[in-house]
Amino acid sequence: MSLFWFVVGQLASTETMSTSKKVITREEWEKKLNDVKIRKEDMNKLVMNFLVTEGYVEAAEKFRMESGTEPDIDLATITDRMAVKKAVQSGNVEDAIEKVNDLNPEILDTNPQLFFHLQQQRLIELIRNGKVEEALEFAQEELAPRGEENQSFLEELERTVALLAFEDVSNCPVGDLLDISQRLKTASEVNAAILTSQSHEKDPKLPSLLKMLIWAQNQLDEKAAYPRINDLSTAALEDPSI
Amino acid sequence: MPASAAGNRPEELCERLASVDSGVRLKALREIKNQIIGNRTKKLTYIKLGAVPRVAAIVGDDDSDAPLFVQSAAALGSFACGVDIGVKTVLKSGAFPHLIRILSNQDEKVVDASARSLRMIFQSKLAPKYDFLNRKDMDFILSLLNSVNENVTELAASIIAHSCQTGGEQKALSDEGVLQKLMNLLTGSINQRDASLDAFAAIFRNNSELISKFAGFDNGRKTLGPVVELLKDKYPRTRLLASVCLIVIGQASPCHLEELGVKTKLIPVLVELLEEPGQPGDDAPFTLANFVAGKEELQKLAFDANAVEKLCKFLRKTAVQPKRFEGLLLALSELCSKLEICRNQFHQLQVLHIVIDALKHDSTEVRSAACYCLRSITRSVKSLSAGDFTNETILVPLVQLLRDPSTSVQVAALGPLSNIAVDFTPRKAIFVQCGIVKEIIQLSKSMDSAPRLNAVWALRNLMFLSDKMGKESILIELTLSTLASLICDSEVSIQEQALGLVCNLLDGSIDSIEYAFAEDGKIIKAVARQVKNATNLEVCIQGMYVLSNIAAGNELHKEAVMDHIIPPVSSGGGTPIITSHLRSSDSRLRTASTWCIVNLTHPTSTDASDRIARLRNAGVIGQIKSMVNDPCLDVKFRVRTALEQCTTFGNAAS
Repeated sequence: MSLFWFVVGQLASTETMSTSKKVITREEWEKKLNDVKIRKEDMNKLVMNFLVTEGYVEAAEKFRMESGTEPDIDLATITDRMAVKKAVQSGNVEDAIEKVNDLNPEILDTNPQLFFHLQQQRLIELIRNGKVEEALEFAQEELAPRGEENQSFLEELERTVALLAFEDVSNCPVGDLLDISQRLKTASEVNAAILTSQSHEKDPKLPSLLKMLIWAQNQLDEKAAYPRINDLSTAALEDPSI
Repeated sequence: MPASAAGNRPEELCERLASVDSGVRLKALREIKNQIIGNRTKKLTYIKLGAVPRVAAIVGDDDSDAPLFVQSAAALGSFACGVDIGVKTVLKSGAFPHLIRILSNQDEKVVDASARSLRMIFQSKLAPKYDFLNRKDMDFILSLLNSVNENVTELAASIIAHSCQTGGEQKALSDEGVLQKLMNLLTGSINQRDASLDAFAAIFRNNSELISKFAGFDNGRKTLGPVVELLKDKYPRTRLLASVCLIVIGQASPCHLEELGVKTKLIPVLVELLEEPGQPGDDAPFTLANFVAGKEELQKLAFDANAVEKLCKFLRKTAVQPKRFEGLLLALSELCSKLEICRNQFHQLQVLHIVIDALKHDSTEVRSAACYCLRSITRSVKSLSAGDFTNETILVPLVQLLRDPSTSVQVAALGPLSNIAVDFTPRKAIFVQCGIVKEIIQLSKSMDSAPRLNAVWALRNLMFLSDKMGKESILIELTLSTLASLICDSEVSIQEQALGLVCNLLDGSIDSIEYAFAEDGKIIKAVARQVKNATNLEVCIQGMYVLSNIAAGNELHKEAVMDHIIPPVSSGGGTPIITSHLRSSDSRLRTASTWCIVNLTHPTSTDASDRIARLRNAGVIGQIKSMVNDPCLDVKFRVRTALEQCTTFGNAAS
């Protein structure tokens, strides 16, 4: 009997807790937010960080002049980095490799996986262009030795060479390698490696801040009803639904 | 386009490096650079073709312009990256001083290229060493450290990490304020931070005085705190280097690690790093092994952090790189070196066959590491007495390693064999079938002391509780004269093991004691010589136990021992050797010596009263009497037994 009452008692208290969520009105909320001070320079730095990381070099240059915010990286290197990225995205892998090496020869010399993926992409482009003989020679000369050095490279190489075995590559089990997304994947890998070599974060800070905002709102939802931001692009406060 | 087409063949490109036209040279340089970066095979090809001296000539040519300097420095750096022979060739080509010279070039791009290239060279053990006690070298390194160029300061830290070795150099660098400069680099770029951590480790290694001084009043919370913070860094390489640095600090000055509270933090960091691909993951098991080596408490912590399970999991993965494979085996060998729980888990995870297969690995290091791992696993008394390891699957490959071309592998293989040999008696046939005894004896005659020591050790364990047949089969191969010369080996540790071997040989029956007197008493003479002359305590202890074993024999045996421990009256007396040993400050030597007296005066022997009289005259009994209250219980009990035996006869005589 006593146990029964105890359980009921607990249920009751949980219920009161969930219904007694604190309600914060828009007025109160805006007042609270007004009390939080954000420095303009910090905002500018975040914007600069976004422009730099994403590679908007001209915008960054303009922004630097207009706002006086100094980028934490030599803007010229952004142009170089974007050129590399673009070269991979458009299938000029050899050109991309040369550009990376001009930028910093250590990147590909100390990052075998990235180097292999670039070479693999080169092979994919040869196959895409129907240069079968050249592709085979390239695979044998340049990629096979890497496969000997590393088992997982060998597996990837085998998968890539398998492209040659199919008449209709668009419909074969390894067809995804020819997909444009494969180029983008390789391009983003190079981009990240270059950024890391420049001691720069490979992701911009703004998305992390927004992620944190969503997380914090989810946490708060359990405790209170408040004006929420649902649309990140407008950042509009929406009245709490009670 | 493949490199072999359109005039880009290595031979042709090499030719063009020597062209009179600088434009042709530059194009060839750049092409070669692009071919060799990331490509080991190509590097080797060009090294063979003699490209390196040609590139060195370009970097050494005062008439070269900035682009030529940049490309040639980059090419040299790539030749030196990841290939030992590349570093060797670059150094031999004389490029090093040229690269140093262009570090002070006006063009920032040239400086960057040469600093990067030099850093590649300094990542190799083969790089030249700077002497920080030399003013010129010190000034040079300080000028690099003070540079505004990131690549140059990073190079400075790499040079320190590579060159700083002696306490004097460590102090000199610290006196010049280098530690503070390195501290500043910790807040710099990723590469600067990593190089600086490396340099810190080199300056702190084995130097507790310097660590204390640097740690200052708050035991390093402020000065070393930033290094501790880096244990949480985003980059695995940085976490690893911070761990290495803190381990170095802890090994030189344990109290500081304790004060910083990181001892327990390091284990999970290292265990987590095992999961990393690439260099940090390859190095992590080595660092873990180094950290827990010989420290049971840390091994337990690592066990609790699932280290054994993780290591075994990676061991199972197919096609592990040799370097990582070696590290995993070494880490397991350290973790299983003391704790039975670790060994149990190793068995439960069923990876023994992988370790056994690794005994046949192509890499010398992996074979050695597999042996070390098996040595730790075979330390389990439980598994040994269950006879888990006395089977051909494990013994045959181990024995084959006794003929390995590498001495270090031979020595390593003797480790597990020694352990398994303890289990000799019940399954002797297998050992003989596998030809183990013969192989080990062969190694006991090696000119190299390491295999000799380990072989004698293994034989000692083989002798342990062995029956007459077993002893005989070993002795026939080994011969008494070899055994006698091992007792008097030039290495003290081998003397000790050889005496231990004799102890096990003579243990058991009157028959086996006869071995000491065979061939004109070769063995007892050698033993007696050591007991009399050896300065090493362990040798004396082992020697006394051998004499005790002989003294347990018949009247003739006992008399022979008497002759060796008490000088004949004709020689004018003096303090008998047994008395000096009874007076030793080491209780183990006192115990061994008292045992000898106990056996000599045993009442069942007919001539005991005569021997007691001789011992009394030589002052030995007096010495024993003075030991009735010996602080060591073991000695005290043996002394009582000896005295009781003496009084029995004393009474009978009176």
